[in-house]
Parts: sequence; structure tokens; C-alpha cells
Amino acid sequence: MAEVHHEAGGSGADFDLSQFYQIFFEEAGENLDLMEQMLLNLNLETADDEELNGIFRCAHSVKGGAATFGFSDVAELTHQMESLLDRLRRHELKPTSIMVDVLLESADASRSLLARHQAGGEGVAPPTGALVSRIRGLVAGEVVSVPPATATATAPAPAPAVATPKPVVEAVVAVVPQATPAVRNQEAQAGGPRILEISIQQLDHPEQADAISELFRDIPGLGAIKTLPAAGANTRLFEVETTSSDDDLLDLFAFHVARENVVIREKSEEAGEIRQVVDDKIGVETMLSTTNDAQTKEASTTPSPGAAFGFFDGAPGAPGTQAVTTSPQAGAVVDDVISKSLRGNTKAATSGSAQPEAATIRVAISKVDQLINLVGELVITQAMLAQNSRALDPAVYQQLLTGLTDLDRNTRDLQESVMSIRMIPMSIVFSRFPRMLRDLAGKLGKKVEFVTQGEATELDKGLVEKITDPLTHLVRNSCDHGIEMPEERIRAGKSETGTITLSAAHQGGSIVIEVRDDGRGMSREKILSKARERGLDVSDQMPDSEVWQLIFAPGFSTAEVVTDVSGRGVGMDVVKRNIASLNGTVEIDSSEGFGMKVSVRLPLTLAIMDGMSVGVGNEVYILPLSSVVESFQVKADAVSTVGQGAQLVKVRDEYMPVIELEKVFQVPRFDSEKTSDIMVVIEADGSRVVLLVDELLGQQQVVVKNLESNYRKVPNVSGATILGDGKVALILDTGALVRRSRH
Amino acid sequence: MEKTVDAVSAGVREYLTFRLDKEEYGIDILKVQEIRGYEPPTRIANAPSFIKGVVNLRGTIVPIVDMRLKFNCAKAEYDSFTVVIILNLRQRIVGIVVDSVSDVMGLVPDQLRAAPDIESVIDAESVIGLGSLGERMLILLDIEKLMSGIDMGLTSDPC
Repeated sequence: MAEVHHEAGGSGADFDLSQFYQIFFEEAGENLDLMEQMLLNLNLETADDEELNGIFRCAHSVKGGAATFGFSDVAELTHQMESLLDRLRRHELKPTSIMVDVLLESADASRSLLARHQAGGEGVAPPTGALVSRIRGLVAGEVVSVPPATATATAPAPAPAVATPKPVVEAVVAVVPQATPAVRNQEAQAGGPRILEISIQQLDHPEQADAISELFRDIPGLGAIKTLPAAGANTRLFEVETTSSDDDLLDLFAFHVARENVVIREKSEEAGEIRQVVDDKIGVETMLSTTNDAQTKEASTTPSPGAAFGFFDGAPGAPGTQAVTTSPQAGAVVDDVISKSLRGNTKAATSGSAQPEAATIRVAISKVDQLINLVGELVITQAMLAQNSRALDPAVYQQLLTGLTDLDRNTRDLQESVMSIRMIPMSIVFSRFPRMLRDLAGKLGKKVEFVTQGEATELDKGLVEKITDPLTHLVRNSCDHGIEMPEERIRAGKSETGTITLSAAHQGGSIVIEVRDDGRGMSREKILSKARERGLDVSDQMPDSEVWQLIFAPGFSTAEVVTDVSGRGVGMDVVKRNIASLNGTVEIDSSEGFGMKVSVRLPLTLAIMDGMSVGVGNEVYILPLSSVVESFQVKADAVSTVGQGAQLVKVRDEYMPVIELEKVFQVPRFDSEKTSDIMVVIEADGSRVVLLVDELLGQQQVVVKNLESNYRKVPNVSGATILGDGKVALILDTGALVRRSRH
Repeated sequence: MEKTVDAVSAGVREYLTFRLDKEEYGIDILKVQEIRGYEPPTRIANAPSFIKGVVNLRGTIVPIVDMRLKFNCAKAEYDSFTVVIILNLRQRIVGIVVDSVSDVMGLVPDQLRAAPDIESVIDAESVIGLGSLGERMLILLDIEKLMSGIDMGLTSDPC
């Protein structure tokens, strides 16, 4: 795992990989946030399947991603969460508040694990062993007696926002007297209660932090807290003596303050050192900020047992200060306080600057769409201006014409930049997989070869983001369930190495992404029997296609073992849901023993395409350049007919059917002399046909617009685009044209 | 326009009125997105004759229906006065060609009359009623129902 980061950060060649990390971290963060939100909203009594499935999917997505990138600690933790959630959504367990707490804690722990990975894997990973075993206990159905540390999380006292100083006094007095510095050190060495300094920084509402003191009062066994003077108005500093782990504390504090604002430091200095700091404090004070100066000034005016005590009284918004001064241990406390407030200051400064800045921003697709439309309008206006200005005399209107030339260039650049926001090649998605498959295959002891096709197919960013997760599921499923173990493959007469093929292509009005494997395929009988087990309405007479669709039901899986890779059936559920939300469809084709193919068909909502514009009569049509093979001029007598007029043309020893666009589209002819005499050979779905057109107008990149959003599906047309002059041109569906010729 | 006078009274509804030949029609103003001049659309093969084709409306592909052809008007000429009303119907945008746009009228329920059963090219379901304005008679259309009808061919078949 740490190696992963070395790869990612260490060499520039792996830049792309680290880019995906960023995406993963963002997605995982979103998923964890969503899960937290759903957990918090979960009504334990009336939790419905949809909610539980939703929470489960979040955990599953995070797990999937973490495993893909090799963050095994995150994957392990989320796997445990998933196991628990799986039992919940199958109604094998009843959700309890303890479970919710543990899940929330786990989500937080996952977050900090992820944060550590995001920071390059430095530092010590927060321990998750305790959480994992607690979840396991819950999964096993134990009614776990909550350990004291957890009680803090389970019993969040609805503390008032502003703490009153008095309770703090009690808390401090109650615990501190036995804890002389010497004792504390001993205890710390013996693994007993630790003494921590906790600074809470960058608070918008410092009063929130004050409620933390209350937590210690309300929760027995948590330990003692002392409020220390803070270095700034939006900062709070506490000294805490506790046996709880940092994570537990952070979880607890999260009720009041954002986790990232909390900095915990273990205090391990010898008492002598602390004294030293106190002795030097006068010297240091002078270097402190004006806040501390103010504190010092106030100190001289405050009647208190020692000068040092007064030092705190002025600390803005430190409600516990009075308590500290009255504590019998005040002297020792003060020492701690000073050394900590000093360290707290520097820490605040460094952590502030070290905060990673977001390298990307997420913007609503609708905003980008609007931008694209506006730029499209601008381009058309610009084209119009250019056309109108052509008649002007360059000698007279030189400046205007220069300005228009600049406008032309700038508009083009602008359009290109705006378009590039959305369009990314599929290779970005595809290149995620080789590593994932390698790890996965290694783990499973399988041999897998990964083949990709059509990586250059450009896809809308919005689609890419949404298609990545489903594809990941599909590829994992192929590797986990599809491809057999090497011995099994040899026994079945196949080569030892299985092949998983991922391909993307524009097909008709859609983009088709296929995941194929040559593994064992799916067993019709197994699916049917499993479906009956789950109480689904099935019959043996169902056609294959309907049987395959059964695996999209939530919780459906035919895998015999639940592995951490896949096999809970959640994958297909998610796949279907995600793809349906994109107006896409999923089709499965499988042959037991020979493998299976999952085709994801997505509409070409905003795919950009290289097009060839052809003229027929007075009309312009766009052909996808990818399907154009060649074009040539023919004489009328080169076309031969078969039967009642089906036309064929011989191109290099191959007879190909001829389609007259003029007839297909009923193009009106005003000039009866003119006939189509240009032939364009197109290839689609593995066959070739020849289109007869009047003229070739040129090649250009076109933005594919959906005709169906306001109109309906038009035969032989996959979409429309807007030409430079603002007119609409239809894009031909070459697949449909080829199929047409077959009938 | 007297609509401001009526606007305060309860139950007033505003209609955009347009002419097709000699007939005057009214449609709910809230369904109207904008009014534009006619520009030749891109023809779509095999579409009914009243669907003139599609135009580019600021980056959106919008179908254009000629109401004069749909309602079998005697003539449908395209000149500089021909007007296209762009409608926004349940997230779908469609343009209709009419002879001219006349007015925005506020009608109170009193002015509405039920349409008698008559045989016409307009599906009776799509006629809300008749608006009586002195000598003028407004044919009030449920434009949304009219446009989503199967015979309009604007939406893909359910299958």
C-alpha cells in the first residue's frame, strides 16, 4: 500500500495513476459523507430496504475503489462494514443504535485512513483492529457490551453550546488531585492514561469547542479535561488525561467540532522539561503574538495565587480558566499550559499551511452545458459576422477586420477549451483496470490477460464519471466469477490464461462498452434456483435473456462464496441502477463454459464526433468519420441491379449494396439534371455498404445533440448537430443503414 | 390591454392568442417560452407534412410544427410575418408556426363557454372551451394535450 504511493508519487511516469487516486479520494469522501448522512437519518424502527441498500452500496463502492487501488486497510475495514450492512439489509439482524455508532466510527476511521493515503501514506495509520473486531462481533449477532470509550460515542449528551465553567471545575478537581506529574509520567510509561494536548483550531464558533469539556463530565470513565488558554480567538486548547485512543476522542469531539480542526498531541515531556519552559516563559512571551501580550497585561491586574495563573485569565473565551486557577494542582497545570500553548501556536501555523488545497473543483454538469451552449451561440454569431464582413473593403475597414480575425481565433480557442472540459477519452477509465486486475488475479491465483479496444473513443465527462463504478464492478465480476482457476481451464480444454476484453465504440446513436471474458459463463439452472430461493417469480420456460436479467435484482448473486472481491450480488444491482440513470441499458449474453459478455449501451448525449458532411440535393447530412472507409466518383453504369432494383456496385472485387440517400431521406430535387454520383463506402456492424451522395462537403468535429430530447427517434438518424451557419444537420446512423441493406 | 384590470379578479387566466387563417386561438401563456420569426428548418425525412423539421434554438434542437398544415388551413405561406411560438411543455420544447400572434388576453371563468360537439380536425379532448370576447370567439386549446397526442408524432411511440 505504501508502495502504491511510492509508485504514484515517486516517478513522474505514473502521474496518471495518481490522478485516479484523486478521483477515488473524492468519490470515497462523497460516499462516506452520504453514508454518514443516511446513517444519521436512519430510523431504526422503520428502516426500509431502500435505505439499508443505499448505505450498503456506499460501503460497497468505497470498498471496491479501495481494493482497486490497493488500500487494503480501507478495503478491510469497509469489507467488515459491508458484512454488517449486508446482514442488516437481509433482515438477519435488526439495526441498533450501537451498530449505527460503530458504523459511523468506522466511516470516520475510513476517512482518516484515506486522508493518510492521500497525504502520501506518511505517518502511522490509525489502528482499526478494535473497530474491525467490534463489527465482527455485531455481525456474529453478539449484543456487544459497549466499551467505555465507545460509550462516549453512543451517548452524545446534547451538551449546550456554551459550557459553564463550574462543571469543569468539578471534573478537574475530581481527577487531577491524584495525578501529580510524576504519577502521570509513570502511568504513561505503563500504558495507563495518557496525557494529551488537544488544540482545536480555525473555529467559526469557538463556543462549540467549549462543549467538549461537558463531554468529559457527562461520560464516566473518559478522563479529565482542563481548558488551557488559547492562542487566538478562534482556537481552543485543552489538556486531557484519558485512556481512550485518539480516534475515539476525535469521534467524540466530532459532535461539536469538525474533525479536521482538532489536533491531538501526546504529551511525553519529562516534568523537568516543562519546568524549563516555565522558567523561560518570560523570554518566550515576548516573541508571542499580540494576543499573548494582552494576556500578560491582564495577568498583572488579575488577583491570583501566582503570576503565571493570571496569564490565563485573559485568554479570550476560555471558560475553564477559573477552574484551573482554583485547582490544587494549578502549578503543574500552568507549566503544561504554557509549553502547550506555545507548541499549539506553532502547530496551528504549520497545519494551516499544510492543508492540502483541492486541485480540482466539481461543477454541476448543467453549468458546463450552459457554457457549451453559450459558446456554441457565440461561434455562430462570430461566423455570421465573418461572413458579413467579407464584402467590406479591407483598406477602409482594416481595424474592424483585424478585430474580427482576433475574435475568430479567440472564439475557436474558447470553444475548444470549453468542449475539452467535458470530453475525455475512454482510456482514462480503461487504464484503471490493468493494475486492479493484476492484483485481483494474483490474489485469486488466476491468470488473466486484459485487452482493451477503442480507447480513443471520447466520452462525456459526466458519463465517464458515472460509468467507471459500474465498469469496475463488471470487470471484477468477470475476474472473480468468470475466469476459472488455471487447472480448471486446462481441464476444460482452454488455455491457462483467461482473457478479459474491455471495448468501447460508437454504435448507432449510442456508445457501447463491452466487458467480455472467456470464463465459465453463467449457469441458467443456478440462477433459477437461486431466484426461487429468494422468492422471485420465475419459471423454467423463461428465455435466456430474461434469466440473465434476474441477476440485476438487489442482493442477487450466484457466487458460492462471499469473497471480499465480489459475490454479494450488489454489483449488478448498482451497475443496473447507475446505467439506467444515464438512460442506458445493460445486456448480458452468456454461454455456460464459454464465457459471458456484458454490453453497456449509453446514449450519445454529448459525445463529440469526427464527422464527414455530405450534400444530397440541398441538404447536408453528417456521417461519422469512423465508419467511412473510402469515397470515389462513379459512372452510372458501374452500378448493377439484382432482381427488382436492389443495386450493387463492385469495389475491388467485392460487391456491395448501394443505398441512395436521396431515396432513403426522400430528398426533394429542384435540379432534375443533378444526380448523386459520389459513393462513400461505410462500414458498421462488420459489414460494408455504399452510400450514394451528391457531394462531399468536408470533415469537421461535431457535437452530437440528442434529437429525442424534444422530438422523437428518427429512423436511420442517430442524432443532430449544429453547423457553423447555425443550421441543424442530421447525423446518419450507419449501423441502421447497414442493417437496412440486409433486409 | 385590459388584462391588468382583470388580473386582480379571481380566476383570471391569461391566454396568448394567435390567428390561423380566419380563426383565433388561445393558449395558456405560461406554456409559451418565446416568440420568434420563422426560419427554414432542417427537413426530417418521413415525418408528417405538418412537422416542418428541426431548428437550432440556442444549441437546442427544436421541432417545428406548422399549425396551419395540422389544422388544414387553406394556405400556409412563409414570409417575413410568419411567426413561430416556442412552447415549453413538460421539459420538452417545441415550436408552432402560426399566421400571426395577436394579443395576450385575460379571461375570467364567466367568459368561458363549453365547446359544443362538432366534427373537426382538432381532437375535442384538446379544446378547453370557447372564449367569448364581444364579437370575437377564441378557441382555447389545451396545447400540451394537443402536442403530446399520438397523431402529432412528436414523441416516440410508447413501445
